[in-house]
Amino acid sequence: MKFQVNRDVFSEAVSFAVKLLPQRTTLPILSGVLIETTDTGLKLSSFDYEVSAQTEIAATIDEPGRILVSGRLLADIASRLPNAPVQFSTEESRISVVCGSARFTLLSMPVEEYPTLPEVSAQSGLLPAEAFANAVSQVAVAASRDDVTPVITGVQLEVTENNLTLVATDRYRVAVREIEWDSGEASLPETITALVPARTLQEIGKTFGHSGTISVAITNTDDREIIAFQADQKTVTSLLIKGNFPPVKRLFPENVDNYAVINTGELIEAVRRVSLVLEREAALRFTFTVDGVTLEAIGSEQAQASESIDAHLSGGDMVVSLKPQFLLDGLGAVHSEFVRISFTRTDNPNKPGPVLITSQSSKDQPGADSYKYLLQPNLLLR
Amino acid sequence: MRLVIARCSVDYAGRLSAHLPIATRLLLLKADGSVLVHADSLSYKPLNWMSPPCAVSVIEPDPEQADLGVAEIWKVTQAKTGDLLVISIHEVLHDTTHELGVDPGLQKDGVEAHLQKLLAEQIELLGDGYRLVRREYMTAIGPVDILATDAAGASVAVEIKRRGDIDGVEQLTRYLELMNRDPRLAPVTGVFAAQEIKPQARTLALDRGIRCVTLDYDEMRGLDDSHSRLF
Repeated sequence: MKFQVNRDVFSEAVSFAVKLLPQRTTLPILSGVLIETTDTGLKLSSFDYEVSAQTEIAATIDEPGRILVSGRLLADIASRLPNAPVQFSTEESRISVVCGSARFTLLSMPVEEYPTLPEVSAQSGLLPAEAFANAVSQVAVAASRDDVTPVITGVQLEVTENNLTLVATDRYRVAVREIEWDSGEASLPETITALVPARTLQEIGKTFGHSGTISVAITNTDDREIIAFQADQKTVTSLLIKGNFPPVKRLFPENVDNYAVINTGELIEAVRRVSLVLEREAALRFTFTVDGVTLEAIGSEQAQASESIDAHLSGGDMVVSLKPQFLLDGLGAVHSEFVRISFTRTDNPNKPGPVLITSQSSKDQPGADSYKYLLQPNLLLR
Repeated sequence: MRLVIARCSVDYAGRLSAHLPIATRLLLLKADGSVLVHADSLSYKPLNWMSPPCAVSVIEPDPEQADLGVAEIWKVTQAKTGDLLVISIHEVLHDTTHELGVDPGLQKDGVEAHLQKLLAEQIELLGDGYRLVRREYMTAIGPVDILATDAAGASVAVEIKRRGDIDGVEQLTRYLELMNRDPRLAPVTGVFAAQEIKPQARTLALDRGIRCVTLDYDEMRGLDDSHSRLF
């Protein structure tokens, strides 16, 4: 096998292929990246039985073939090569990489043992890449990182005719966002759902954020449950998480008339400042009145802090106790200059009603996107 | 169990010689015959002790010792080695004896046993359709914590740990190998269940086809903070 390839194109392709490889694997060949020649250039692939990545790039092929080399090492080398065409050639079990004055010799791994990558089924629909990347970053923050409940370590994707809903929760909060979905020619059953590991989906969002349109294929039959994302000659597939996602959308209140509108940046700054004196896991107390909102950090012997900022209150005064990190995750995800915090009432004295965080483009104009972040407040300690 | 608090000095003669000058100390005389000398420090360790079998004899002090304030002398003699512990009692401040009865012994690991009991009661935590066959299923090399069947009726061996380490995976692997030789059970799959599973243990388990399940002890025993959660 022998080929020549552009340095930047190759480096980008290798770094894409190895990004989703696991840190530790019990099968060393899975840490490799497979390089195959095609009629027009090269195909680079990685696969660990859960996630696969594949990309095609242009190259000048002198002699066709297939090689398997250590993925991370190749990615490190490719990113450091001088600015010159890269030449690959195989010499028995060794692979020689020459670029300008630099020369590397790598050991090739047995390519025959490498597993076959999953096949991508027919396209289920199209997604606008930027909106999808945005939605993933907004929703995935709420996904659980706790192995106790594997089902909620994923982001639930729900497709209806022209709509994709992303949902994630860790039982303390729920984040939901809807974006456009174009089913195109495909005739879908009424609703299809796919539960994708949050970490994988976040990488997919970052990878395809500037790709224009992403093609999605969901196979959700009994024995095979995978999802594939394709754009720009790149494909990522992931196994779906098995199990039923909890019906969390019913937790959202129908309508709320008791809410406050606050400048998002000001609130984030104030929360970060005041929570400096908090003990770990402790909550901040927020008192909303017509004069604004007062943040108080209490409950620590060492130090206390408080701060008041402007807030536009609609409805009656309200006091809630919120964990600062959970609130910051929601505030960081609304992506709007102002934020609306809505309060729900409850008859249960042992469990305060959840607060709803939504975007707000100005003091009296709700935000354009459908993002909703529902957060359970702590009990108020008097 | 006899507890004596006394002002005393202690001399040990035998393989090691030691002397404790006069001070107030706690003397424990246990039913098994052992004698322990404790101070109000050094945590759980006695200052000096004599292991059973040993004999305690109380002797009158000679006039010279009596002049120094010694009221009585306890000679504790080890029956086998002949080592000698001599306790010179100057003043007894407290002396009581209690019958403690038979001790049930140390529970090997309370949490692990409790986790086993709770998981047996809530076997559906492993998945829909799971049914308990029995706890402590006996194999030739020891008991498997739980034997269950999955929704399809296939056998599942469950090893329960507080902290899931490589050792636990190895243990379960040995059980599985043995159980899979039994035509009445085979094929047996494994579940490694723990409150916390180390990444290396998880990798090894998955490589061997063993499923990992993280257990939430607080939730299983109903000590849940549900008021701070949405659901």
